[in-house]
Amino acid sequence: MMRQTSRKVGGKRNLIFIGTLLVLGLIVLLDIYLVDRILEPMGYFYLFFVAVAVLYGVYPLHANRRLTRYYWERTKRHRLSVLGLAFIILLVAVALIGPLLTQDPTRVNFDEKNVPPVGFTIQQSVYDLDTDKFLVREIPGTYQHPLGTDDKGRDLLAMLVSGARVSLQVGLLATLIAILIGTIMGVVSAYFGGWVDQVLMRFTDIMMTFPFFILLVFIIFIFGPSLVFIILVIGLTGWTGAARLVRSEALSLRTREFVMASRSLGASDARIVFRHLIPNVLSSVIVIATLSIPGVILAEAALSFIGLGDPTVTSWGMILNAGQRSLDTAWWVAVEPGILLFLTVLAFNFLGDGIRDAFDPRSQL
Amino acid sequence: MHHNILEIKQLKTYFFTRSGVVKAVDSVNFGIRRGESLCLVGESGCGKTATALSILRLIDSPPGKIIDGEIRYHDEDLLRCSGKRLRQIRGHGIAMIFQDPQSSLNPVFTVGDQIAEQIRMHLKLKRRPTMERTLHLMEQVGIPRARERMKDYPHQFSGGMRQRIMIAAALSCGPEILIADEPTTALDTTIKEQILDIFRDLKQQREMSILFITHDLGTVAGIADRIVVMYGGRIAEVGTVYDIFDQPKHPYTHGLIDCLPDISARSDRLTSIPGMIPSLIDPPDGCIFSPRCPRSMMVCRQKRPKEVIVSKEHLVACHLYS
Amino acid sequence: MNRRLVEVENLKKYYPVTAGLLSRHVADVRAVDGVSFNIMEKETLGLVGESGCGKSSLGRAILRLEEPTAGRVLYKGNDITTWGRRQLKELRKEAQMIFQDPQSSLDPKMTIGDSIGEVLLIHGIGTEQERLEKVTELLQRVGLEPEHTMRYPHELSGGQKQRVGIARALVVNPKLVVADEPVSALDVSVQAQILNLIMDLQHEFGLAYLFITHDLAVIGHVSDRIAVMYLGQIIELANRKQLFSHPLHPYTEALLSAVSVPDPHQKRKRTSLPGEVPSPVEPPPGCRFHTRCPKVMEICRQESPVLRPRTGGRLVSCHLYG
Repeated sequence: MMRQTSRKVGGKRNLIFIGTLLVLGLIVLLDIYLVDRILEPMGYFYLFFVAVAVLYGVYPLHANRRLTRYYWERTKRHRLSVLGLAFIILLVAVALIGPLLTQDPTRVNFDEKNVPPVGFTIQQSVYDLDTDKFLVREIPGTYQHPLGTDDKGRDLLAMLVSGARVSLQVGLLATLIAILIGTIMGVVSAYFGGWVDQVLMRFTDIMMTFPFFILLVFIIFIFGPSLVFIILVIGLTGWTGAARLVRSEALSLRTREFVMASRSLGASDARIVFRHLIPNVLSSVIVIATLSIPGVILAEAALSFIGLGDPTVTSWGMILNAGQRSLDTAWWVAVEPGILLFLTVLAFNFLGDGIRDAFDPRSQL
Repeated sequence: MHHNILEIKQLKTYFFTRSGVVKAVDSVNFGIRRGESLCLVGESGCGKTATALSILRLIDSPPGKIIDGEIRYHDEDLLRCSGKRLRQIRGHGIAMIFQDPQSSLNPVFTVGDQIAEQIRMHLKLKRRPTMERTLHLMEQVGIPRARERMKDYPHQFSGGMRQRIMIAAALSCGPEILIADEPTTALDTTIKEQILDIFRDLKQQREMSILFITHDLGTVAGIADRIVVMYGGRIAEVGTVYDIFDQPKHPYTHGLIDCLPDISARSDRLTSIPGMIPSLIDPPDGCIFSPRCPRSMMVCRQKRPKEVIVSKEHLVACHLYS
Repeated sequence: MNRRLVEVENLKKYYPVTAGLLSRHVADVRAVDGVSFNIMEKETLGLVGESGCGKSSLGRAILRLEEPTAGRVLYKGNDITTWGRRQLKELRKEAQMIFQDPQSSLDPKMTIGDSIGEVLLIHGIGTEQERLEKVTELLQRVGLEPEHTMRYPHELSGGQKQRVGIARALVVNPKLVVADEPVSALDVSVQAQILNLIMDLQHEFGLAYLFITHDLAVIGHVSDRIAVMYLGQIIELANRKQLFSHPLHPYTEALLSAVSVPDPHQKRKRTSLPGEVPSPVEPPPGCRFHTRCPKVMEICRQESPVLRPRTGGRLVSCHLYG
């Protein structure tokens, strides 16, 4: 019985997806032409992300429980990838609910500047008004600021939690956009071949040589720095690698007899692309996506570090930037986001490796 | 008395996979005599290739491992000799050719270079004699205009020609034994016959021993002196070509011969062996053919059959004869 | 008397060979070069030839899975080469295909049930429930269990996958099935099972087969009439008995003598063919077989022979017969 419903909804999944896109587009239009904002720009991204994740991630995994278990069994064999996954889940949880529990990351309090993390004590010279002298004072870490504060007295824990949200937003959303464009470009290019292939691949070549950094600086110059634009630019320029990989994968799939078989059964081009080719390239797409998230997170951090980030949000790159200025007085400000960035990138890479091996039929033995 | 130049005793080669231990070769015994062509026959997954690869210790490890046994070549045990000695024997004493001539030649070297490499490596000849020998070998396996074609690359040859080149490379150091793993399977009918002719000549002129691995009984009938029938990693039957085709003893051999379509007489139905090829992970107790065997008895499911001598050269591993 | 189901008239399929930066069209691979024949209702027409002779291209061109370069294909009297998308979809219900490689002809990400049911879904046949029933019924008919609907291709053996391929071809009740090497990838013991199934289904469903293979033993077993192809052309077409007992064309003769018969006593008189199949880009002038023909005459080098009727309704294209 379960299988029957799976087929029914499975066939309509692409329709639901296109429907979601249309609704989103409509809301954007309403937003532009109506005074009242229905959603913040990031809100659209979230809706979009949730729609894709449910339709193409959660739902198929749920419908093919046996296959899911099989992949999970294989991913599990990589200890490190399970660790990576655990870390990512933790990070997502922190990013989702953390900001509700922590203090306001933007609250400045100069009385509590440069407080070290719990368990550390530093010596600080403080100007004493009464004696008109500099005094050397011991400042211990407090549980009020478990990870310490920066030179403006902002709570680092709150800042890092906020930064986690930014990093994940940029990493997941930009990758999602890039992967979607890349997959469709690659599959369409491979399946139709001929001039379609030529045009799409030459376009990809041009995009590959396009300096996205300059484009970004240009856009920031025109529109001002904003997270939405950073995500859009990274997403809209970063799909080329995925497109090429997917194309080569789809090219080899296209010569497999099942594609010829479905044509002999009377299937349309759209059906072959969406029901046969895309599901078969999906496993590599997931691997490409997982492995390209860290790159995107690092790119955002780098942008913030050099001051091109969105100044209204606290991101890890920005904390790093602040931290390197006070490295001699407050080392933890730079070290903490650095460690987090390092661990996050590592976690995604481990997970990606594990998934790749799980999906690779050659590692059957 | 026949003298075996290669003797395989109690060979066990297992593959350790995540889904379990595949007993690809499970206690296999047979010998190869001087100047004979011995055919190792069986369907896919019966362990015939694993057996051949084990002889030269070419099993990929991991996951494969030769667990136990002895492979006696002259007075040496190939499973226990040093790596250096083994490399001397490979190519020089025992040479091997594979099914797919496309992938067993290196595409970036000329075919002449690839044959010459073998000669230089093992015989340590100078440039000139090496080239002479290469040329001679290529002519011997019937490559027309060999002097010009030495300088060509593998992709410039057809499948049949590539297989000839592989044979030439294998023969370069005058091996005593040639192991040929499905050498004609990828070839067309008319080309296949040409290649088989080369093997027949080799046997006659050079007194070479050939271990010919194939699944095609038609080919076997045309080339074999003796036959080893394998099923599920074990030996089912050993005998001369006449023993096997005229008086097959093992029900599997029977089935295999019966289910071939016969072009000289059309019948409406082919006899077939029911069921499918068994998984070699956790094979059933007793005889591995028993689930498909039309003459299966109680004992077949409990005890693994021993090899029984039914006539001078004819061995069978089946409870019907014990 | 059965009616003609398919009439092929002077069918050609060329693949362009391009070169250079601008993909200049420099030559053609003449895979199918002017082929005419008929397929009767409920008969099996065997199409035999070596690799690269164009038999698979011909099979695909007849179903318009590849666009023919020239010529006509009449299905029940209607020229399908001019049909548009809608009509072609109708044709797919009448004419189906069984593929060689059961491994790659099933979508690895689809369950067996979905793979077979997809055909019904595409053609909008039946409700969800009816489709499921039909799939289950057909699976049982080809010798699988209902629970196989939930399985994925990698969980089945080669023979089982080929059964699925057959079920998928038959689910829309076609009249014509093109079977392209349907048993070549299977083991001998399984091959017989599948051949039996294919022949049983023919009677049951009233099918006409175009059975394509390189294996003469198989084709002799299943076919009513046999067409022999060489380098893109049919060189002989006769009924089974005529062809096997008395081949006319020298190529057919060589092909038959090269069939390895599983009988060691039969030391055949072999007509071993010299040389190899020439390239279909530049087929030899005159008769295409003259470069390898043992009975070649002067005229063969200049004039190409035409496929002409001989006694007994058989056709042959050879200058030996006027």
